[in-house]
Amino acid sequence: MQYANLFLAGLFQAAILFLVACGLQLIFGVQKVVNLACGSFYALGAFFAITAVGLLHQWQMPMIFLVPALVLSGVLVGTVGAPLELLLRPVYRRDPSYQLLLTFGLLLMFQDVFRFFWGAAPRSMDSSLYGIYGTIDISGLQIPVYNFLVIGASILIAMILGLSLKRTRIGRIVRATAENRNMTEALGVNSSKVFTMVFTLGCILGTVGGALVIPTSAASMTMAAELVVEAFAVVVIGGLGSMAGAAVGAIIVGLMRAFAVSLAPEVEILSIYLVVVVVLLIRPVGLFGRSAS
Amino acid sequence: MKLSRRTFTQATLGAAAISVGGPLFAQDRPLRLGLLAPRSGVAAFLGEDSIRAVRWGVDRINRSGGIAGRKVELVIQEETTPKDTVERFRHLALQEKVDAIHGLISTGVTLAVAPVAEDERVLLQCWDGTTQNGVQESMPKTRFVFRSTDNECEAVMSSLMAIKRFKGKFATIAGVNSDYSYGRNCWETFKTLLSRYDIEAKVVSEQWIRVGATDLTTNVAALNAAKPDLIFNSLFLSDLPIFLRQASAAGLLANAKIVSTVAGGQINDLRSSFVPEGALLGQNTFYFDLPGASELQKSFVAEYRDRYKAIPTSSADRAYFNLMAYKAGVEKAAKAAGRWPKTDEIADAIAGNDIESLGGRGRYRADKIAEQMFYQGFSKNSTQHEYPGLSDITAAFSDQLQKPAGADYWKWIKTADFRV
Repeated sequence: MQYANLFLAGLFQAAILFLVACGLQLIFGVQKVVNLACGSFYALGAFFAITAVGLLHQWQMPMIFLVPALVLSGVLVGTVGAPLELLLRPVYRRDPSYQLLLTFGLLLMFQDVFRFFWGAAPRSMDSSLYGIYGTIDISGLQIPVYNFLVIGASILIAMILGLSLKRTRIGRIVRATAENRNMTEALGVNSSKVFTMVFTLGCILGTVGGALVIPTSAASMTMAAELVVEAFAVVVIGGLGSMAGAAVGAIIVGLMRAFAVSLAPEVEILSIYLVVVVVLLIRPVGLFGRSAS
Repeated sequence: MKLSRRTFTQATLGAAAISVGGPLFAQDRPLRLGLLAPRSGVAAFLGEDSIRAVRWGVDRINRSGGIAGRKVELVIQEETTPKDTVERFRHLALQEKVDAIHGLISTGVTLAVAPVAEDERVLLQCWDGTTQNGVQESMPKTRFVFRSTDNECEAVMSSLMAIKRFKGKFATIAGVNSDYSYGRNCWETFKTLLSRYDIEAKVVSEQWIRVGATDLTTNVAALNAAKPDLIFNSLFLSDLPIFLRQASAAGLLANAKIVSTVAGGQINDLRSSFVPEGALLGQNTFYFDLPGASELQKSFVAEYRDRYKAIPTSSADRAYFNLMAYKAGVEKAAKAAGRWPKTDEIADAIAGNDIESLGGRGRYRADKIAEQMFYQGFSKNSTQHEYPGLSDITAAFSDQLQKPAGADYWKWIKTADFRV
């Protein structure tokens, strides 16, 4: 049973990582922008959720609605992606280094945004909220129900996203734009609007991830940069631009961390990068990536 | 030589400036105290708490006539990386021309700044930052640098109290400690003292928590898998409430005994809902609700709570202790010299004075290391506040917990005559 516990902890990690990596993949897949600021949206979601849920708590919202409230707060603050996408427009057709510099600049600027609105010290939510849904007893192991809800919410979001991209008209337009932007424009698609929508959606995935993690954690100035590194490990393992790759990469990274922490704590971080190195050596495009040719 | 009126006037003014201008003008201006405190990042709350206490102390000092007749004003700079903090230290000393500098929380920063203070002959009193290994290597003897009590004092006290309270009630132990010298020293201290008192306990898990980590899900799962009877931790940042909250939700705390060396620093974020009764909670040099507390402490806690809607911690006490130790040193040196004392005279006068600090009595030893009271107790639910209260509080002066001057810490804890 001890491994079941580690497995569930790994899945919880993977659920959060998947949301952020998914946003990263979506933006790269359509806009061909490697968004280094993805960790900032995760942190923004976390900070905003503390404020939003704190207010709802004051207004006597029944805390049984905690998870929907967190998702909603993540969606709300994630819409900041729409105006931010305007900043990226000048660099879409330029060398990728400009995009990297610009999004890295955003990452740094967000640090001061957090400092301005929420202060420099770590912030956390009312500490009793994590246990609001109780625990499930699995053969003597107490697993917080909240962890299952986050894993479930992540799976649900992945399914909705997958179905939307495959089965809806907008989804087809997004995929077509990702495939060939010039052709879709020639067919009358306003690619600027598509880009704004996709970038906002990518941001929302990150902010929802940050909002969902906060009852178990705390929001800090450094969380953005830390997550960027893990999210890129997920992307390298799964393959840049692949949603399935994001899911598999997140599960690998989440489980590796959970088991390494228990079995070999000294190599917790190293274990993740060993996988990255192995994948890069054997399959440089990632497990689900497609080569440029 | 013919003495013209102009030459005479110039010579007179020049002589006056030389003879009078230096010391007398220096005494007329306010005494400038530089503070170097973390104001952002994971340690910001420590810096903020310290600054608040110093401001409180300076207000009281100024209302009662200042230090040796001089009002005190503060010049605050941020403690960040060792390199940047050294620059700010120089700025305070050379540009701001402060009379003394207090502050510093990080051992790494202290080790970088202290040699500069010695070189520049600037009085530096450290609030914290005295983890053993680094200090032994780099600051064996100082003249102008005053250091806090050893950071390992609380680990020694927690270990001794845990052994006394839980002996025979645990066979397996796990460590959850910060992944740097402080956390590693605390864990090693606990294991060394277990061994010294012939307590056999199997280490089933060792978790090293990165400074600033906010997600401990996997660590809690690993501990749950290891099922330790006793969990020893030295977490003191926001990682402590996160850990206890997650561990409580995962049922980890239902059976395991908790030993937390320095939980008091996070008192504002701890709740009885997830801190089990009977957990050993170290408070360092200050416990806000100490039975029989001094009027000074009561007054400080009341004003602090009223003003900041929060509970002060030992960071406040350490900063206040240094302020009062400086005041006592300056006044002693001024009295002995019959004039405003020089920096080296003040440095020589600080050690040995008994200081009443917020948390209790304290003083600087001759080797310029602080001695203060330490408090630890066992958690109990409180009806008065949402924070866990403490029962069976033990108070110990640091001469019981700290290695003597010049001793090697690791040799000392194997032979010391502990009476805690």
